[in-house]
Amino acid sequence: MLGLLGEQGSDFAHKVDYAHDIVTIISVVCTVAIVGTMLYFAVIYRQRDGRDHETPMIEGNNLLEVIWTVFPTLVVIWVAYLGYDAFIDMRTAPADSMEVNVTGQKWAWDFQYANGKKTTGELVVPVDQPVKLVMTSRDVLHSFFVPVMRTKMDVIPGRYTYEWFRPIKTGDFQVFCTEYCGDLHSGMRARLKVLPKAEFERWLADDSEERKLASMKPSDRGQEIYGKQCIACHSLDGSPRTGPSWLKLFGKEGQLVGGGTYKADENYIRESILYPQSKTVAGYEAAANAMPSYKGQLSDDDITSLIAFIKTIDGTQKVAPSQPAAPKALDAAQLAAMSPADRGKALFNDPGNMCYTCHSIDGSRLVGPSMKGLWERKSKMSDGTEIVSDANYIKESILKPQAKIVEGYGPVMPAIYEGKLKDENISDIIEYIKTLK
Amino acid sequence: MSAHATTAHNEELNYLNWKTGLWSWLSSTDHKRICFLYLFTILIFFFAGGAAALLMRLELASAGPTIPGIVKDPHTYNVLFTLHGVFMIFLFVVPGIPATLGNFLIPLMIGAKDVAFPRLNLFSYYLYVIGATIGAISLLHPVDTGWTFYAPYSTTTGTSVSLMVFAAFVLGFSSILTGLNFIVTIHQLRAPGMTWMRLPVFIWASYATAIIQTVATPVVGMTLLLIIAERVFGAGIFDPAKGGDPVLMEHLFWFYSHPVVYIMVLPAFGVVGEIIPVFSRKPLFGYKMVVLSSMAIAAVGFIVWAHHMFVAGISDFSAIFFSLVTFLVAIPTAIKVFNWVSTMYKGSISFSTPMLYAMAFVFLFMIAGTTGIYLAMLGVDVYYHDTYFVVAHFHYTIQGGAVIGLIAALHYWFPKMSGKMYSETASKFAFALVFIGFNLTFIPQFVLGMEGMPRRYYDYPSQYQNLHTISTVGAFMNGFGYTFALANLLWTALFGKVKAPRNPYNSVGLEWQTASPPIHENFPETPVVDKDPYHYGTPAHV
Repeated sequence: MLGLLGEQGSDFAHKVDYAHDIVTIISVVCTVAIVGTMLYFAVIYRQRDGRDHETPMIEGNNLLEVIWTVFPTLVVIWVAYLGYDAFIDMRTAPADSMEVNVTGQKWAWDFQYANGKKTTGELVVPVDQPVKLVMTSRDVLHSFFVPVMRTKMDVIPGRYTYEWFRPIKTGDFQVFCTEYCGDLHSGMRARLKVLPKAEFERWLADDSEERKLASMKPSDRGQEIYGKQCIACHSLDGSPRTGPSWLKLFGKEGQLVGGGTYKADENYIRESILYPQSKTVAGYEAAANAMPSYKGQLSDDDITSLIAFIKTIDGTQKVAPSQPAAPKALDAAQLAAMSPADRGKALFNDPGNMCYTCHSIDGSRLVGPSMKGLWERKSKMSDGTEIVSDANYIKESILKPQAKIVEGYGPVMPAIYEGKLKDENISDIIEYIKTLK
Repeated sequence: MSAHATTAHNEELNYLNWKTGLWSWLSSTDHKRICFLYLFTILIFFFAGGAAALLMRLELASAGPTIPGIVKDPHTYNVLFTLHGVFMIFLFVVPGIPATLGNFLIPLMIGAKDVAFPRLNLFSYYLYVIGATIGAISLLHPVDTGWTFYAPYSTTTGTSVSLMVFAAFVLGFSSILTGLNFIVTIHQLRAPGMTWMRLPVFIWASYATAIIQTVATPVVGMTLLLIIAERVFGAGIFDPAKGGDPVLMEHLFWFYSHPVVYIMVLPAFGVVGEIIPVFSRKPLFGYKMVVLSSMAIAAVGFIVWAHHMFVAGISDFSAIFFSLVTFLVAIPTAIKVFNWVSTMYKGSISFSTPMLYAMAFVFLFMIAGTTGIYLAMLGVDVYYHDTYFVVAHFHYTIQGGAVIGLIAALHYWFPKMSGKMYSETASKFAFALVFIGFNLTFIPQFVLGMEGMPRRYYDYPSQYQNLHTISTVGAFMNGFGYTFALANLLWTALFGKVKAPRNPYNSVGLEWQTASPPIHENFPETPVVDKDPYHYGTPAHV
């Protein structure tokens, strides 16, 4: 009716909204009636000329007291029933529900399906199929709130709670954590993706990623993760990037900010991945603040693999393991002979620039936004403004990466291109981006 | 009464000047002076908590980091909302009306010389000061748990939770002792002829409040000790890893912290019940029902706590039970509103500042009450729980109720307390700022709640941007309004030239029959009461 709560995504949402509409109408009518009466009395019985007029000594009226005791009682019984009716539906999961295990931890949501498939930060479900979420927490209280489904339940360590919904439409929806859980509580969000049934089945059956990872040597798997998640800020050859290089990192000792020393053993590396701000290597204060926590993003197996990889870094590694072999740097003569867009492509793929490690050209999400369709794309920034990616914006983003951050991405791009890339290089890169439609 | 004759020869001597010097204030057992000790101390925390709120609102004015120079990271924001809650609840609103106006008015209204245990009263104040000091020390490593201290976050976070929780524990004892003192005072020290059914509704409200303070506060005291036991000794009561239960902590917490809402708001009901009859020149409509509803709210308030926990993992049956009993609170509350409005019928209504605040209270409390209905409804609360709708609802209750009630009372009894008259123009200007600013702050927050915006969020998706910006503008207006209103009163008390008469509003209340300001022991002779509390108007016209 009134549509105050927005889009309805589950089959019981209309019951919640109906109860909400009824109580809204009652509330508005009662408030207007009572406050209106008060104001009406205030006007017609106001004191005139600064002098009191005679007033009757009315001490009360029993009939009125009975009326305004009984009437609100009847009204609240009715609305209590409406609330109960919607609640019973949302607490009664159908027997044919598809179960998904949900685990909350600071500050991410993990999902696991009956066939073993796992995701983080993204709950994928089929439309028209009741889904029951069986939830628990690894640390403190959380709460799983899906506004569009009108449901929510606290997620508690040491016990299981559940919630369910039957999605009535496909689409991408927001999930919030609504029980305060510490520093990044407001960042503990997930996406709910409701797919058509066939598409969901294909998605669920696709275990190529997992199989590939499971069959790898730990150090190879670590290398793979490095190429996707860590390469932007940590070099393997000792060269400085935003964060400390990983060259011969394992076993290394050094100074921490604020005094104290560290020894890079397994536990130190694990802590640095999960709680980047807890121990900061001297000289990397700003970098530590830029590094996001990978808690919930990397599993224990992932971290063990990364440590295995770090142990192997002795200076012989090649960069960009998960990417197609990077083209060799080109010399000036070759570059001069190329079209601007081709020159831009070469710069993009130049190992010295490494744009490709964080920006895909096929639309897939890496550390930074994809370059595919970037030219003149409208993007929302983290401060809420909308920006069209024109030449000025792209140039600014290359030279001063922290000036504007696209919503949903971290401020992790290093500011190392000022002086390294000249104006004509940047306009070449822009020409290249224009071709990535 | 023969008050005139006896006070004539020492007209100038009153409770404010009969002894002088700072020590005479700090060691005073006069309930009226203790009112001022409390008033100045709680207002420090009102402004500190208000400053934390304004910083939060500034940070939330736009999505993403807004004032990184001050709120440098999410942790700072979390500290701010915790301090805002702890200061406002434990240090400002709970002692708010009871410890200030309750202290000042209870003996005056019942015709007593002081409270039953004047030295215990002063001891309560110093317990409050000790609690507040411990709380202030904990600011060295400020708490980030939220004022709810939910486990296991509160038992594992690195901040100084134990200290802050111990502060709240000590403050609880201050509250318990004040409550006990008031109960005994009201039972034992009523003047001859001041029967129970002749007590002003403010006394009834204070009585109901005192009962809640005495009965509920020990439970939160125990809970807070258990948190300390958990943190210091690893007791394992709330820690699931040791077989404990975090939901138990929520039960214990709300068993106190829901009734505490009525500690905050019942005295404000009492204030409104005093103001409306005087400025309408009418008896309070349905006096007995108003009294009965205060007692009913105090009683029912004890069995509704788990409506804060509909999605906390309690059984569905418990949720249904607690939803039903919660609706019971709506009935006595509605009765009060109907009776206040009916009091104005055929009155002779004047619009002094206290009356404006009282009428604003009725409007704000209608919104607080009706939005409370949404939250008592199971299916709807599941959606609204821990969203901005809840934030807006309880600010309408606590700020629109308790704080507006306190400000109304401070204006209404100001002539009696200070012996001066304040400027109506200045106080009405402040009222307008408070009223408009308050609604501008919190009406957008209802809408944010409808759109699903969760509370305690440092950052938010940009779809919520515009409403947050409006809310921030309102918050600053609101804060400026309170500052202006209180500065106006303070300035008048210190430098005002217009002396207040004994009874500027021509009230029939007993407190107005003695001098303004009253003498040290209130009345030159024990007054004798022979009339009902609000005998305004002409009986012939019934």
